[in-house]
Amino acid sequence: MLTIQGLTAIYPDKTKAVDGIDLIVNDGESVALIGENGAGKTSLLLAVVGVIESLSGVVEIDGVRLGKKTAGEIRKKAGLVFQNPDDQLFMPLIYDDIAFGCRNLGMPEDEVKARVADVLDRLNIAHLRGRSPLKLSGGEKRAVAMAAVLAMNPSLLMLDEPTAFLDHRARRSLVETLKKLSQTKIIATHDIAFAAEVCDRAVILKDGKIAVDGASSLLYDEKLMSDYRLEAIAKG
Amino acid sequence: MKNATKNLYALEQLSAGGTCVHRLHPLVKLMAAAVFIVTVISFDRYAPMRLVPYIFYPMILTALSETPHSMLLKRVFIALPFCLFAGVTNVMFDTAAAFTVGGVAVSYGAVSLVTILIRMYLCVMAVLILVSVTPLSEITGEMRRLRVPNIFIITLEMTYRYIGVLLNEAYSMITAYRLRGGNKKGVDIRDMGSFAGQLLIRSLDRAERVYNAMACRGYALQNTLRRSRRLTPGDIIFLAVVLILCATFRLVDVNRLIAAGIFGGV
Ligand SMILES: Nc1ncnc2c1ncn2[C@@H]1O[C@H](COP(=O)(O)OP(=O)(O)OP(=O)(O)O)[C@@H](O)[C@H]1O
Ligand SMILES: [Mg+2]
Repeated sequence: MLTIQGLTAIYPDKTKAVDGIDLIVNDGESVALIGENGAGKTSLLLAVVGVIESLSGVVEIDGVRLGKKTAGEIRKKAGLVFQNPDDQLFMPLIYDDIAFGCRNLGMPEDEVKARVADVLDRLNIAHLRGRSPLKLSGGEKRAVAMAAVLAMNPSLLMLDEPTAFLDHRARRSLVETLKKLSQTKIIATHDIAFAAEVCDRAVILKDGKIAVDGASSLLYDEKLMSDYRLEAIAKG
Repeated sequence: MKNATKNLYALEQLSAGGTCVHRLHPLVKLMAAAVFIVTVISFDRYAPMRLVPYIFYPMILTALSETPHSMLLKRVFIALPFCLFAGVTNVMFDTAAAFTVGGVAVSYGAVSLVTILIRMYLCVMAVLILVSVTPLSEITGEMRRLRVPNIFIITLEMTYRYIGVLLNEAYSMITAYRLRGGNKKGVDIRDMGSFAGQLLIRSLDRAERVYNAMACRGYALQNTLRRSRRLTPGDIIFLAVVLILCATFRLVDVNRLIAAGIFGGV
């Protein structure tokens, strides 16, 4: 379970990107994080894993409270797939990149190997394992970044714009993959149709604050959506 | 530019291979390379011929590891200008004749230039071979176990990663610049300042985000937890052979022995 209380995150240049957020996400829930550009979605996800330095408020995952000493433990529990996969992939080989997190967890090499193979298989990207991340397409990078996080088997999975760069088929298969995962999920996205399909709950952010929190069926509400300058899903 | 990045990591892609050299214990490979380099450097700079036998190391290892010799050689040439620079200054200042060949005096400076070149070739090859048969994570893992201070290891890993980040950043900036820059060939001197500044800021920014992503996947947690593989007899034999050959060639002047054999003793 993720508990957030009065969370405020301020960037070094004094931008208050997250402003007093309270949110509880129960085990197994899938929450869509919606909001216009600059609403604070990415910042909220970064704050949960303690990457933004100036934080106040409480973040607690499965009873572990985020602090200087517990940041490592929190990051084992919460996996974040970055908005830009180029920031996330840095090893010369895809294989090593995916293994990176597992190795950091101190897993023996045999288990690392098995984990990587399993996750490559689940995301249908086994053919990429010997390639370099520098030479992949946007969508392939995205899949590898996701594999890198899934390999660590976090209990909370956070995805930042997972459908960016994906073609229709890849997007479809991402939906299927996510539906199969039993983990708690928080997905920041502009892809409203995707959010409605994968998530059962939607949180709309505005200026770093939670404006709306409810069932994902809200995403079909044209009036509400246009109030937040978002596009409702076309009925059809 | 993209090629530079590609080249840089192409070697490490080889490190995923599975030959008998790849399977050696990383510690053994690290030690062999270190011993080899130290011995090669320990020679007098007027003794180029004494270095020749050491060619055994790159020859045997590239053959066994199936590393294309040409691929390594190309990279050796990158270091060449620096060595030539050091060597040529020797040629200019160290002009006393060392010996004469067919009436032409060969200066000590020229002899030392040759020594520098051979030495450079041997050392750079040793490092390149190490990189191409051992994944970086294994090399740094061994360094950790040897209690090399963490700060050195992190710096090494970071530098290695960030060179790629820097080159990539530069590459995409140049592409973006060209796309909007009409038919300009390179970057205008006029724009050079802001270009370099941007590149620096962008790389730092990028580096920070990459570091964050690493931290999210437990980078700071990394410690000596990973258990070391056991040494196999093969590892020990390999190390012993390298040690013995390095020591023998260091202590015994093999060229003189061979010459003595051919000319019936001196
Ligand atoms: N590194 C940073 N330093 C300073 N301010 C930042 C930084 N990153 C983001 N911001 C600011 O924080 C606010 C929230 O940005 P954030 O990236 O969280 O938005 P977002 O909802 O993820 O937007 P998008 O949909 O465009 O990804 C914005 O006003 C942005 O300008
Ligand atoms: Mg964002």
